[in-house]
Amino acid sequence: MALRMWASSTANALRLSTCASKSPAFRAFSTVLDDLKYASSHEWVKHDGHVATIGITDHAQDHLGELVFVELPEPGKEVKQGTGFGAVESVKATSDVNSPISGEVIEINSKLADSPGLINTSPYEEGWMIKVKPSNPSDLANLMGSKDYIKFCEEEDAAAH
Amino acid sequence: MRGPRSIEIWKMGAVNYLEALKLQEKLASDRKTHKIKDTSLSLQHPPTFTLGKRRTVHNVLVSEAELKAMGAELHYTERGGDATFHGPHQAILYPIISLRDIGIGARKYVENLESTMIELASLYGVKARAGETGETGVWVGRRKIGAIGVRISSGVTSHGLAFNIDPDLNYFKHIVPCGIPDKEVTSLQKEVGLGQKLPSEQVIHEQLVSCFTKIFGYTDITWRDKTSVSSDGHE
Repeated sequence: MALRMWASSTANALRLSTCASKSPAFRAFSTVLDDLKYASSHEWVKHDGHVATIGITDHAQDHLGELVFVELPEPGKEVKQGTGFGAVESVKATSDVNSPISGEVIEINSKLADSPGLINTSPYEEGWMIKVKPSNPSDLANLMGSKDYIKFCEEEDAAAH
Repeated sequence: MRGPRSIEIWKMGAVNYLEALKLQEKLASDRKTHKIKDTSLSLQHPPTFTLGKRRTVHNVLVSEAELKAMGAELHYTERGGDATFHGPHQAILYPIISLRDIGIGARKYVENLESTMIELASLYGVKARAGETGETGVWVGRRKIGAIGVRISSGVTSHGLAFNIDPDLNYFKHIVPCGIPDKEVTSLQKEVGLGQKLPSEQVIHEQLVSCFTKIFGYTDITWRDKTSVSSDGHE
């Protein structure tokens, strides 16, 4: 499939299912992955049974701008669905990041200390933030699938016009 | 069809930094739970140095004891950005607004704050511009006239912008302002010329608010005189 430069809301409808690392200049649209779950505060979670990986979405990193700093919790810390576990800084703005699920932090992405921009260039892969041992499987029911998340982003962006 | 955008502007006069911080925390919490609508504080601080979340203490060039001796306070905050100075004759706006309700993210919000100060400067014939990448703020040539440092929590903003009307620029010598070592700090008074008389600061504060409400599309604006409000929001 040829990649074309489209506005975010139009392109989101395509629901592209790959997210290989692309150079920032090429990213003219927000990517949403089908196999992840999404929170309304723009975090994603990949549930692999005993371990869940968490990060912020492509839509989020695009709206934040280039990240210069990432604050992450220590392993062992408890996180709760909908509450903050860390923060990111871009354009002189610190933004809290919320956990989409509850559980215990088992690993953090230490590369983000020196390379916070990984979240911008690879929000679903190299830019993952924490890995969590989920404590409550029913948390996933409160999250959106890719189709609903795309619609949610479109509605939120439309409020700006 | 979107309804009118509403905001309440609190005119506060001179407020101690910590008091303003406590008030912002309360207002942000109330805004998150929809107890209040978008609100913005319009004020100035006594001499105060602040650091952001990254705690870049190396950009404060004197000890805390020396700062105290010159009558200034030092505070560590959760906002973005580096070291800065706030003081008399600097107009500050702390918008406590829901970015989700207006559908914008941090980057667009900060761009709008920059545009607000650029617009204000232009009212006085001063051509200001936004900073390059990594130098968020408002500049006249290589001289910084306005600073930004923001916190966003659950989509609600706190902290905000500081525009130099005519502060004592010597205070800035005690820090590396915003972590950028080789650029100057300036003020509206300096840019229009020291011989030019500016209108009263009350007028300039009001103009700053008007530029803000125009750029953010607020059409329903309520002004509240809160010059004797304590940190819990009561008069």
